Amino acid sequence: MTAFLEVDHVDKVFPLANGGRYIALKNIHLELKQGEFVCLLGHSGCGKSTLLNIVAGLDRPTQGGIILENKQVKEPGPDRMVVFQNYSLLPWKTVRQNIALAVNQVYGNKSASERKAIVEENINMVNLRHAADKHPAELSGGMKQRVAIARALAIRPKLLLLDEPFGALDALTRGSLQEQLMKICQEHRVTCLMVTHDADEALLLADRIVMLTNGPESHIGQILSVPIPRPRNRLEVVNHPSYYALRGDIVYFLNQQKKAKKRQAKAPAIISGNGLEKVNLEIGFIPLTDCAPLVVAKEKGLFAKHGLTQVNLVREPSWKAIAEGVTSGRLDAAQMVAGMPLSLSLGMGNKPPSPTVTALTLSRNGNAITLRKSFYEQGVRTLADFKAAISQRRDRVHTLGMVHPASMHNLMLRYWLASGGIDPDVDVKLTVIPPPQMVVNLKAGNIDGYCVGEPWNSRAVYEKLGFVIATDLDIWQSHLEKVLGVKEEWANKYPDTHIALIKALIEACEYCDDRRHREEVLELICQPQYVGSAPEYTRPGFIDPYNRGTEGSPEMLLKFNEFYVDKTNCPSRVEGLWILVQMARWGIVPFPRNWIEVLDRVRRNDVYSEAARQLNLPGLEPERTSFQLSDGTVFSPDNPVEYLQKLNIKRKITIEEVSLDPLVASR
Amino acid sequence: MTANLNNPVKTNFLVSLIKNPPRKILAPICAILFILTLWQVLCSGEDANLPSPLLTFQETANLIFDPFFDNGGTDKGLFWQILASLQRVAVGYTLAAIVGIGLGILIGSSAFMYDAVDPIFQVLRTVPPLAWLPIALAAFEEANPSAIFVIFITAIWPIIINTTVGVQQIPQDYKNVAKVLRLSGTKYFWEIMFPAAVPYIFTGLRIGIGLSWLAIVAAEMLVGGVGIGFFIWDSYNSSQLSEIIVALIYVGIVGLILDRLVAWIASVVVPSEQQ
Repeated sequence: MTAFLEVDHVDKVFPLANGGRYIALKNIHLELKQGEFVCLLGHSGCGKSTLLNIVAGLDRPTQGGIILENKQVKEPGPDRMVVFQNYSLLPWKTVRQNIALAVNQVYGNKSASERKAIVEENINMVNLRHAADKHPAELSGGMKQRVAIARALAIRPKLLLLDEPFGALDALTRGSLQEQLMKICQEHRVTCLMVTHDADEALLLADRIVMLTNGPESHIGQILSVPIPRPRNRLEVVNHPSYYALRGDIVYFLNQQKKAKKRQAKAPAIISGNGLEKVNLEIGFIPLTDCAPLVVAKEKGLFAKHGLTQVNLVREPSWKAIAEGVTSGRLDAAQMVAGMPLSLSLGMGNKPPSPTVTALTLSRNGNAITLRKSFYEQGVRTLADFKAAISQRRDRVHTLGMVHPASMHNLMLRYWLASGGIDPDVDVKLTVIPPPQMVVNLKAGNIDGYCVGEPWNSRAVYEKLGFVIATDLDIWQSHLEKVLGVKEEWANKYPDTHIALIKALIEACEYCDDRRHREEVLELICQPQYVGSAPEYTRPGFIDPYNRGTEGSPEMLLKFNEFYVDKTNCPSRVEGLWILVQMARWGIVPFPRNWIEVLDRVRRNDVYSEAARQLNLPGLEPERTSFQLSDGTVFSPDNPVEYLQKLNIKRKITIEEVSLDPLVASR
Repeated sequence: MTANLNNPVKTNFLVSLIKNPPRKILAPICAILFILTLWQVLCSGEDANLPSPLLTFQETANLIFDPFFDNGGTDKGLFWQILASLQRVAVGYTLAAIVGIGLGILIGSSAFMYDAVDPIFQVLRTVPPLAWLPIALAAFEEANPSAIFVIFITAIWPIIINTTVGVQQIPQDYKNVAKVLRLSGTKYFWEIMFPAAVPYIFTGLRIGIGLSWLAIVAAEMLVGGVGIGFFIWDSYNSSQLSEIIVALIYVGIVGLILDRLVAWIASVVVPSEQQ
């Protein structure tokens, strides 16, 4: 189905008086279904009203376009009626005349009495019969806005655009108008796009909330879908289980944006102390259960214990943002997907190589593959069933979500599909979606399944949207999952800080792994500034038996989240090689002929060993041996090229010498 | 019964008015009395150049009490003199209003037009009204059209400029409403542009009427014929200073009435929300 309204990759650039350009909106892509109510949320100046004006046709996008019912929008028209922020009633006309102006214009072909009936009907709808002959100056703000809404709805627009319609009203009036609007929109199935900066208003009214980042180059930071059933009531929505989690997400997003604005204003300073080069660190993370070591290190004072007294954990919207943050220097360090330091160093996607290192593996396992519930109802239980199911529906493109091309989710999903004879690029389509948006996209029908870390699998199970067909224990038990990534330049500039950071995190990992601490850790990560998820769907696997959402009873997976035991933390080179090989297999990066050099440089065993030594831990690299994955294939660290050549399902493999730039400075 | 009931009320009102007169009435009366006294004192001497108020009143009693006489030629009562002037103002001013509002709307709605003609208008509007008269006389070769032209050219500038501003100041919100509803050109003009600019237009009209009345007196002095301006000039030539004084008072009062008339029309036409 094509979208009712499509905002197709819109850019808006304003020329400045000094000859420069101000990029207000950058690559905004949004699709609305018919009858959907979508709120645009963001700080003032983020360009949300500009976007609304572009949809209305009052402003033209610099690039991209607006498509309403398969027709491009080029000028304003009554099919996209706007309710303006300051009502925009004509002061020389009465309430009735204001509405009649619109009705007479749009229904020119109807008889005068029919038009009159429409006007009167809409006056009644907003309960303004007693004020029908008054001029706007005699009305209160709330009444004026009711007239504006009546004027807009009287001409039955395909799309109703509202620009902070209730911003200037007192709380009581706002509340009753919100309910009236909601009722009217629902009765008449009006598709609405509304700009607001009020989180509660958005949660009450919207089916989806689109959050825009600050300008310049404002883009969609996050889309939240609001699963609260309709009809909604202002007093009852707050009791819905997801209300406060969603509200937390929104407030968190807005706060992050506010901070980002401040950060832009002042350049990050370097504060030294405690014998370390830099004690003020910005560390990026993604809201996932396995960000626990970072949260614990911060909340339990382990960073401070090792001299890092000013650590700030920055919640990032996607892995792409993490990669950008570390590369640009906005973040000192970050939780990364395992392949990211390698892919950044090799220059994935034709980007210039940005040498990035990891000296610590933060966690192992913790992922699962979730499929849409309907597959389960069709009888899909195994990978073979899944292959049969998708080959039955050749006409349909089956799309699976994963979080980043260099993530273990992508590599293991591909490995798993290929082991069952499904070509991950031919038989299905893989698409990148940030972890917190997986469930929303599954629900919206954009994807048929995904591979992601917790709690986003359990959330789908909890909401009965999907079931877990495989956990990573079924594919490669105790695989490396998240690592701590820093820029090589950073690691060379702040070697002692790097070691202190790793020491703090090793201790945090040890703390997290102890099952006696799990309840406390859960409480910490469920806070809104971290994962912000409800404990109900964060517990499975982490503490409780893992529920796959199938008929089988939940089973205890003791190894589902590993943070410390079994030499979890060492950045083993063999595992790095597996990642290099898999990335080369799918054409993500060429296989480096100088792979030994690359691995030595990216996976810093030396730093890890030094940190472990200072903590009086053994810190040894695991044996350099072959290992076997669940499908029976053995991976040997000695002949990667031969391994690659033996594989059946793969892309064209290129092998080339990758020259990493010379070290900027050595320790 | 009714009379008995009404009388005490009436008496009370009058009594209270005398006992406790409103300042708005009392103050100007005092000021007028003071000025008249001062004037009387200053001009009572044997060799005074100007007549005293009492003398003025004595000499012009027939002018004051019979403004309607008509002895043919230019020897007419003040009513006829003023009527003749008002007729000229009416023609010149009406033309100025029509042309001025039209041009103002045109210039206001086109940024190019505004940029093109605004500097020219800024120069022309500072030209004193009488400076136009020789050109007008040369062009029309007749006194009456020339006087009317002077009125026209005097009144038109404030009307054009205010109308232009009024059109330019139409709030973007109203324009957006028109765009979203796709109002046609004429509908936009009558539903949005004209009502939105009306308060500005009336400001221009009110300034314009004041200027026209100022200009007519001066113009008539030069072109002659029946009219209050020429009446003043004629009285001066025949040393009838008292007549001039009475005529001045008439001119002032008529000017005030004209100004208030336009203001009253504005209050009727312009919606209360925009005043």
